[in-house]
Amino acid sequence: MSSLFNLLKTSEKSLRLGRLTLIKNQEQKVLDTPNLLAYTSRGCVPHLTPDNLSSIPLIGAINVTLEHFIDVQPPPSTQFPYGIHKFLNFEEYLVFIDVRDPGNLNLMSNNTDKHVSVYTAHGVRQVTSDSYIKYMNIYKPDIFVSLVDNIADEAPSLKRVKRSVDRTLRWLDDAIYHEGAQVFGVLTGHKNQEERIRSAQETAKRNVAGFVLNGKCLGSTSRECVDILKPSINHLPPNKPRLVYGLGTPEDILLGVSEGIDLFDTSYVLKMTNAGNAFVFSLDIKNDLDSFNRQQQIISLWDINYQNDARPLLAGCQCYSCKNHTRAYVHHLLNTHEMLATVLLMSHNLFHYTKFFKDIRESINQDMFSLKVEQFFRVYSDGEKEQKNLSSIILN
Amino acid sequence: MRSALTLKVIARCSTTKARVGILTLPHGPVDTPVFMPVGTQGTLKGLTTKQLEELGCQIMLNNTYHLGLKPGQELIEELGGSHKFQNWNRNLLTDSGGFQMVSLLKLARITEEGVEFQSPHDGSTMLLTPEHSMSLQNSIGADIIMQLDDVVSSLTTGPRVEEAMYRSIRWLDRCINAHKKPESQNLFAIIQGGLNMDLRTKCIEDEYKMILKYLLFKEMIKRDTPGYAIGGLSGGEEKDIFWRIVNFCTDKLPKNKPIYCMGVGYAEDLVVCSALGVDMYDCVFPTRTARFGNALTPKGSLNLKSTKFAQDFEPIEKGCNCLTCKTYTRAYIHMHATRETVGCHLITIHNVSYQLRLMNNIRKAIINDEFPSFVQKFFKELFGGKDKYPIWAVNALKSVNIELLS
Repeated sequence: MSSLFNLLKTSEKSLRLGRLTLIKNQEQKVLDTPNLLAYTSRGCVPHLTPDNLSSIPLIGAINVTLEHFIDVQPPPSTQFPYGIHKFLNFEEYLVFIDVRDPGNLNLMSNNTDKHVSVYTAHGVRQVTSDSYIKYMNIYKPDIFVSLVDNIADEAPSLKRVKRSVDRTLRWLDDAIYHEGAQVFGVLTGHKNQEERIRSAQETAKRNVAGFVLNGKCLGSTSRECVDILKPSINHLPPNKPRLVYGLGTPEDILLGVSEGIDLFDTSYVLKMTNAGNAFVFSLDIKNDLDSFNRQQQIISLWDINYQNDARPLLAGCQCYSCKNHTRAYVHHLLNTHEMLATVLLMSHNLFHYTKFFKDIRESINQDMFSLKVEQFFRVYSDGEKEQKNLSSIILN
Repeated sequence: MRSALTLKVIARCSTTKARVGILTLPHGPVDTPVFMPVGTQGTLKGLTTKQLEELGCQIMLNNTYHLGLKPGQELIEELGGSHKFQNWNRNLLTDSGGFQMVSLLKLARITEEGVEFQSPHDGSTMLLTPEHSMSLQNSIGADIIMQLDDVVSSLTTGPRVEEAMYRSIRWLDRCINAHKKPESQNLFAIIQGGLNMDLRTKCIEDEYKMILKYLLFKEMIKRDTPGYAIGGLSGGEEKDIFWRIVNFCTDKLPKNKPIYCMGVGYAEDLVVCSALGVDMYDCVFPTRTARFGNALTPKGSLNLKSTKFAQDFEPIEKGCNCLTCKTYTRAYIHMHATRETVGCHLITIHNVSYQLRLMNNIRKAIINDEFPSFVQKFFKELFGGKDKYPIWAVNALKSVNIELLS
């Protein structure tokens, strides 16, 4: 197995258009970036049976979280002889595995040199580097993320931060030592700039296939979070993909892309879906008049105003839900606590999110990204201050 | 009365009363005997209508009581009726709403006018009359609609049973008068199977006579509704009485009309009742049990929550060609059962597929005139040894010339 990341286009800012290619058994899987890794819960994309998932053609990669099914070790699925792709029916997709849940990172500090602690359905469990690698050898994902010593304290000592960087590097060495494995290394260093740089430089020296930046919990706003991650990003080689956790809203994605992030997780989509919301934002603002009226990014289908709204969730959307169902029906399904509500909302939201990423890639390709982003913030952002903050980052 | 259906019987079993028909309804053909899954609130428990079509489902149920509460009559009418509302272009059947009043609401009281109940919203007293039930069902727009009947618990005895039967006939007349769309919706009369438990002590012939008297069959048949339902039989009554009443009804009801046995859905019940000549069934069981992690197979039900499936890499049912069995192992579903909605969807897909396949196999066996041997095989596979066969089923099948124990 080998992986290849080609930068198709870069701009003088940090914008990147890339293509991740994985070759395994003469089969080639390609993921154009910026892009998303579909979030999973217990190895399924929440609410979507495989036929509904495949109605979202732009999904190319899936992020599987090991802590969801590691309450028993070794997990029973390691007895399955044909690998994780087949077990989870993700043979068409690039499968990433990370031990922790990017959408629900309950930080725990009780890691040791030997293991990390994870949250499972049946409580906290410990995973050692050896056993993790053993599972990965059996599961054979396309890419896996090496173990990381996360820090739970808000203000850790320098000693703790250094230890976190050292442990994480040691576990990374364990992981890439194994032949053929495509490993993403995790950048740590908490909020300490020097340590973040050391972590980035040391990780970049190793034979990793890409990098993971975990912004979740580090800053109180996305802007703060990105600022904390910036020293890491600035010390990464350009020719490898960067995955970030914790950036989910459309503004977050645009912000991340403008800082040179290639891959994002979709836990935000699940959160919005479970809350009964449908995405209606768009990077493609056609009518210039629109841009003077501030618009909604999401609509809540719980709103009683939709009870007799015979329009689709989003006019013109080509997803299964919009082609077949009305807002009134989805409102009814929520109102009666029927499971089809989240099926239809997830189908739409994930479809829409993949389309958003496609629009981002096209706008970079056509040198329109900055213009589109400016329009986007003009139309959607709440509050002038936030708008100013975000657009200043992007337009700088 | 006017009918918006045709029933063409295309095969009859030469041993039993089983028959295969094509029931043509306003939204297309239905192969009978048919099992109709229940989509109570205008949706079948997490499945898309596309998935239901792919499973080969030709007709499903909606419940009038639930749709009448949410979204409510006015909205469902404004939104173009239930087919359009849920984007289901095949057939629908709605019940009268009365059964839920009796089963869900403790404070239901029945008078000549209708069923009185307390609104679950504000506690005010509301009344469901035959006219109101028809009006609701006309707004929902299902292809088959049911009369409001006077439901009594199957454990009720004495004159109340007789009263209910007479009243059901009076209410049928009111329903016929109030029904606004006979050209597109087929009203079925309900034969109240409500059991007089005293009957158990008497011999079968006497029982028949009493039922005949109580049910006033001829009166019902005189109304000439497009189809007939046997109601009030799924309330936990003795199975040995249940089959006798079904058997009696299929003997007495007109042969050119569909016969619908309400609330029946266990596999062995479907096989036995089909042998007795029933054409249609509905039940929440396959979809409800799926939500508890139970998958139906010809060998019985599997509780996929059980850790014994954690390393079982077989499909739920070998040879089943549903999406679930083609795609996933029991071990995979075990990880999700009752924890992720996907686990529930996958088992629901399989269970609906199982029920529809069972009906398909029943139809095939009747068409090939192999139904008796099909029944033998079915019972052997489901129950294992003959000592485990339920006695009521043995008796029921004996009445139509199948000797299960020989």
